[in-house]
Amino acid sequence: MPSRRAVMLGGLSAAAAIPLSRSAAAEQVIAGLRIVSMDFGLAETLIEMGLPPVALPDPASWAQWVVEPALPPGIVNLGTDREPNLEILAALKPDLIVTTPYLDAIAPLLARFASTRTFSVYAPPVGHAFDRSVVATNQLAAALGREGAGEALIARAQACMDEARLHLAAAGLAGRPVLAVNFLDARHVRVYGAGSLFGDVLERVGLVNGWTQPSNYWGFSTVGIEALAASPASRLVYLEPIAADTLGRLEASPLWRSLPFVQAGRVIRLPAVLMFGMLPSAMRFARQLTLHLAGERDDG
Amino acid sequence: MADAARAQPRTPAPFRVGPALLVLGLGVLGLAGTVANLAMLLPAGGWWAAMVRPDASVPVQLLAAYSFAPRLVVSLLAGAALGLAGAILQQVLRNPIASPTTLGIESGANLALSSALIWMPGLLDFGREWVTLTGGLLAIAVVLLLSRRSGFAPLVVILAGMVAGLYCASLAALLALFESHYLAGLFLWGAGSLSLQGWEEPLFLAPRLAIAALAAALLLRPLALLGMEDAQTRSLGLSVGMVRLAALLVAVALTAFVVASVGCIGFIGLAAPALARIAGARRIGAWLLASAATGAALLWATDQMVQVAAGVYAQMIPTGAVTALFGAPLLLWIIPRLRLPPAAAGSLAVRLGQSAGRPGRRLLLLGALLLLALTVSSLLGPDPLGSNLGGWSLALPGDPSAVWTLRLPRAVAALAGGTLLAVAGCVLQRLTRNPMASPEVMGVSAGAAGGLTVAIFLIAETSRLEQTLAASLGAFLALIVLLLVARVSKANPERIILAGIAVGALLDALVSVLMASGDPRAILLFNWMTGSTYGLDTSAAGASLLAALALLALLPLVRRWLGLLPLGEDTARALGMPLGAGRLLLLMLAAVATALATLLVGPLSFVGLVAPHAARLLGLRRPLSELYGAALIGALILVTADFLGRTVAFPWQMPAGLVASMIGAPAFLWLLSRKQVLA
Repeated sequence: MPSRRAVMLGGLSAAAAIPLSRSAAAEQVIAGLRIVSMDFGLAETLIEMGLPPVALPDPASWAQWVVEPALPPGIVNLGTDREPNLEILAALKPDLIVTTPYLDAIAPLLARFASTRTFSVYAPPVGHAFDRSVVATNQLAAALGREGAGEALIARAQACMDEARLHLAAAGLAGRPVLAVNFLDARHVRVYGAGSLFGDVLERVGLVNGWTQPSNYWGFSTVGIEALAASPASRLVYLEPIAADTLGRLEASPLWRSLPFVQAGRVIRLPAVLMFGMLPSAMRFARQLTLHLAGERDDG
Repeated sequence: MADAARAQPRTPAPFRVGPALLVLGLGVLGLAGTVANLAMLLPAGGWWAAMVRPDASVPVQLLAAYSFAPRLVVSLLAGAALGLAGAILQQVLRNPIASPTTLGIESGANLALSSALIWMPGLLDFGREWVTLTGGLLAIAVVLLLSRRSGFAPLVVILAGMVAGLYCASLAALLALFESHYLAGLFLWGAGSLSLQGWEEPLFLAPRLAIAALAAALLLRPLALLGMEDAQTRSLGLSVGMVRLAALLVAVALTAFVVASVGCIGFIGLAAPALARIAGARRIGAWLLASAATGAALLWATDQMVQVAAGVYAQMIPTGAVTALFGAPLLLWIIPRLRLPPAAAGSLAVRLGQSAGRPGRRLLLLGALLLLALTVSSLLGPDPLGSNLGGWSLALPGDPSAVWTLRLPRAVAALAGGTLLAVAGCVLQRLTRNPMASPEVMGVSAGAAGGLTVAIFLIAETSRLEQTLAASLGAFLALIVLLLVARVSKANPERIILAGIAVGALLDALVSVLMASGDPRAILLFNWMTGSTYGLDTSAAGASLLAALALLALLPLVRRWLGLLPLGEDTARALGMPLGAGRLLLLMLAAVATALATLLVGPLSFVGLVAPHAARLLGLRRPLSELYGAALIGALILVTADFLGRTVAFPWQMPAGLVASMIGAPAFLWLLSRKQVLA
């Protein structure tokens, strides 16, 4: 809890060392760097490199969107990412703030509180999230003087992809077209295309992305469910979270029931994975795919 | 005779095309779009067979049968429902500008649905329509309660409805703001997408709408009598209250079903009855029928055009946002052609009177309050990292952490924004002789926001100066449009305000379409639209303060004009005021003030509407004391709003403009219910 970490009087003592108890912040001080991450993708990368951030926007939603790697306890809430609380930033006195081009508008503001570095994965022009994550991970590691940790993470991610590819091939799934979506409601999905993190992982684990339409630079398209009929995909994976009444309403739709993957009974639910994440999310997605796809008996 | 239903077009000959011709014209447009879309979907032909008996092995036939066809049917059903609902509301309230949109019913239903989705998803198990019905009924109940004292004078009802609607929309925006940006479903719903994958929505709508339509048919005779004065109706042995209540219930139910099934589809309910009336539908039965048919044809045509566009640009466009995009200009065209009941027209005037004694003391007191608010706001805040001393910390100047340097610019910007808006509101109210005029209600704020939007999307990097220029230009353009409407409609206050709503709806629609595109600039735009003072630096805040002070210093120069204008054009001219030049100058003043304020606190705050009233309530009625009083009150509201927004949900921050509208909208409604001097 932040309240246990800080004993401040009238805001006057912000300059004094903040007494720390067992928390992420404490480890940070030992590691010598107090990092604030403005983005979940960067935060998960930091955690995997052994340098968890001291503060994040809305850490409570981590469990809903990211899940893995687990967030260390005691991370300070900055509010929203578009308007992080500057008073908290001032009191935290971080050594480094890491952010993304999405928040370029507030980058000059953040720079008033600590040296601020921007790492670009999801930004125009449309690109490949996995490759860009590799580049960004190297840059981040270099900025922190942890090149080794960065290289190790990239190697782990490659190994994870290779392992998933082997498993899926063994299950006879190599080259199968798969759709990856989030349900926005019972009528609309966000479908992840080429260049999205999920699309890149699908390719790397030997599957084929069933969505071939151009996407935006986040890698997704928002479409009505009828648009999925144009896809040759024989499987659909959807990610949590999903609204309680969505599945029931879908079942009532003849068009939904007529879709090839629904008819074949190959609609697969996956736990939440950060769709706009970096390598740790790519690894999680690959592992979840293996777990839920290779487990099924395949005859199509 | 205050009979809205029998209102006739101002210039009868060219516009009396006949309702059938109108529906036919729209229908041809819808048919052309349908043919174009089907030709894209099923190049081989065999359209009817594909829709009725699709071959399950041919995907495009399934698409035609389970997506295209039900969507077409829903567009017809929803359009008819909204057209009928609008006509019933207009008849019941004897108000030619009543509609599900302008009475806040749609926003209320939508807010109920959004809150249920977030907090009580279990409620949805009873059926979405019950949730939306409750929301819609609550909204209209509040609106009618608040306008009861005026005898449901059309303008009062619509003002209450609009403000209640905007209030609900603000609350829904706040919900969306606190939801993570990963979640876009709420926006889609609010924007009214008609994308479908089966017949369950038409099957949901059809029986419910049929029952409601049947109820409307049963109410036809009593409804026709409602067009008369209450006393006459009563003498015919009709329980006016019961008929009104039943008819209102039918109209709200029609709207609630549509919102529950496909979301908010703005302006059909306003445009369809108005068009039907202009086309010449007079008798109540014919008019209700024509309204439903026009609504159906209008939404059909719009939705087919949307699908053509979506096919061309490979981008999903929510139909509901587009109806508002088309509906708003349509409304601007209709407004001068509507004949309003004479009882309502021209009955508004800024109440002049002698100021209560010692305005100076009151102004001083307000100034002292403002200074106190500013001091508290810049020095006090929740302790950023702990909970000592009840979780509050005091940041004094000289404090090494210099937290007050983060707070003061925000507070100063809020102060400047409030001042500018209040002054713009005062000037507009006196200029148009309309106590409900204000930059927010007249679409001037929306114009400023629109100008800024265009600048953000057309120019890669915009400087603050460019933003100010673009916003000023937008505000000025909006004012010019309004004044043209005012000139054509002889400055009738209802028309001006209605034109303002239309301009505001145009902006909302534009932003909705941009939001649905997923462009992150749209998210930033939305963030700014809610009126955030976040991150303003000292120089921007200082410049805004200087601008506000300069404006206040200029006011004595125009004092005489502002005193003369409420007396009427002839009086003002007779007393030697150069009307044309004076008006233009005042307009530019209001436009620039609004533009500057909109950049600081967004277009939503209601301060420009509320502050002048509050000043007059305090007895500050002479031009200068009213202006300065309103300026102080406006500043006070926004400084307080900024402080609350910064501290209440710490570390989360609510935008000052949105918090001000949370304060301003109920204050305005309360004022409206207390001070109904209009009828």
